[in-house]
Amino acid sequence: ALLFAALAKHKLRSRSTFSAQDPRARLSRRSTGGLPRCNTETGEMSVIDILTRVDAICNKYDKYDVEKQKNLNVSGSGDDAFARGYAAVDAEIEAALEKAELASKEKSKASNVALNAELRRTKAKLLEEVPKLQRLAIKKVKGLSTEDFAARNDLVLALPDRIQAIPDGSAAAAKQPGGWGPSASHTEIKFDSDGRFDDEYFQESEQSNQFRQEHETRKRRQDQGLEMISEGLDTLKNMAHDMNEELDRQVPLADEIDSKVDKAASDLKNTNIRLKHTVTQLRSSRNFCIDIVLLIIILGIAAYLYNVLKK
Amino acid sequence: MSSDPDKLVAKADKLTKLTLTRWSADWRNATLNYEQAANAYRVAKKYEKAKDAFEKASKGQEMLTSPWDAAKHMESAAALAKELGNWNDVADLYRRASELYVECGRAQPASDALGKAARAVEDHLPDVAVQLYTDACSLLEEDDKDQMAFDLYRALTAVHIKLEKYTDAAAALLRLGLAADKCNASNSQFKAYLSAIIVYLYANDVKAAEKCYNDCSQIPAFLGSDQGRCGSRLISAYSEGNVEEIKRVAQSSTITHLDHAIIKLGRKLPTGEVTAVKAGTEEGEGLDEDDLT
Repeated sequence: ALLFAALAKHKLRSRSTFSAQDPRARLSRRSTGGLPRCNTETGEMSVIDILTRVDAICNKYDKYDVEKQKNLNVSGSGDDAFARGYAAVDAEIEAALEKAELASKEKSKASNVALNAELRRTKAKLLEEVPKLQRLAIKKVKGLSTEDFAARNDLVLALPDRIQAIPDGSAAAAKQPGGWGPSASHTEIKFDSDGRFDDEYFQESEQSNQFRQEHETRKRRQDQGLEMISEGLDTLKNMAHDMNEELDRQVPLADEIDSKVDKAASDLKNTNIRLKHTVTQLRSSRNFCIDIVLLIIILGIAAYLYNVLKK
Repeated sequence: MSSDPDKLVAKADKLTKLTLTRWSADWRNATLNYEQAANAYRVAKKYEKAKDAFEKASKGQEMLTSPWDAAKHMESAAALAKELGNWNDVADLYRRASELYVECGRAQPASDALGKAARAVEDHLPDVAVQLYTDACSLLEEDDKDQMAFDLYRALTAVHIKLEKYTDAAAALLRLGLAADKCNASNSQFKAYLSAIIVYLYANDVKAAEKCYNDCSQIPAFLGSDQGRCGSRLISAYSEGNVEEIKRVAQSSTITHLDHAIIKLGRKLPTGEVTAVKAGTEEGEGLDEDDLT
């Protein structure tokens, strides 16, 4: 067994480049192919031993695998958390967009609704991730150029827009104000013209003259309008003041009227009560009956006298 | 009772005259008769007779110790006198009515009566009107009813302006300001002050106008108010001799809110020489320099 290991190591060391084929696959093929042979060459050697050895060797020579390195680079090394996070969000956005396309092609309403709901959930989740990414973006990572660093900020700021843009069947959402969230530090003012401030830059163009004139005319018209409004307001203020004074004048008069009317009302009430008493006294049923009885007696006497006289 | 007014009056006269058979005049019936007669005369448009009847009725009410009714009758008599055009009579009758109102203890109707009198006679006897207005205002002020006096003061000012007695007009306006101050009617007060300044300027008395403005500026609220600012602009325009500025200030809306009479005066500004003021100050400075050397 020792001899076989030494032989294998020697053979491997002599190789300078690896082919594109997965070395593990080749070795395993070799090992499986060599299994019947192993018995004859070095005596017994179990498959497990071989597999473990192959794993160790692969780990040692991983850094020569070009393809794998490329993949790792794109998704970022273990240190760069921002790159990892960003890649994850990116992948999820792509998946959501694909689902959205699928949803738009769907005929049945129910599956459409389900897909849309799922999309909305994904969007909400992604929007939550964005602030985390922003924080990560601010942190400086070694080995990263300043341009890349600046670009990261822009990427993060663009993320909410992309997330919202995923169509999920709801009404066109209101346009986000360009992601004016807690903007990260812009360490310098960005100029459009790359800082070329020569004479031509400040020259008056025809356009700017026209614009200025228009601005002046508009301002003059506004001033006129405002003057008319101010005059109207003056009149209103004057009228309001006069009304105020008039009301102040009327207050004591109203109080006087109030007290006089109160007095008159109470007088009236008293008089009414007395009148009622008098009337009830005059026309009470007892007096009335007595009146009638007396009247009948008088009539009777008169009739009697009349009869007597007539005879 | 006959409805013929003449007969009524005759009957009432008989009732009131004391003769051998009659020891005390029957004023109640007499007054009734007089009132009926007066109304009948008024309807028949016999103003002279109606006036007399009302006067007698009023006297009757007085005898019956009801000054209120007496005053009312006096007022009716005075109104009829106005129809007749006896201005002196009008004034007298209204004065009598106002006295009776004062007897009742009611100052408001008293001053109303005087106001009506003044309005009636202001065209024909302006001095009398002035007197009447002043009396009316003092009546109200005694009774602490200054608010009602504003209108009277304004009318008084108008009369003065018509008579071209500008100092009197300005004085009246300042009294208006005083009354307004007592009732905390700041808007009216400031308008009165501004009007006074304008009246002085119209009378070409710039010094007086400045003095007036300074006096009024003692009240801090006036300085900051619209009217105060307008006044200061006017004064400064006058002292600079800037005719354009004066005209512009006169057209401003603050002046438009004042009384009609004042607006008319304001539009006519500036009167007389405006540049005189500027020259005067320059001369003064020249003399001083000479004195120093």
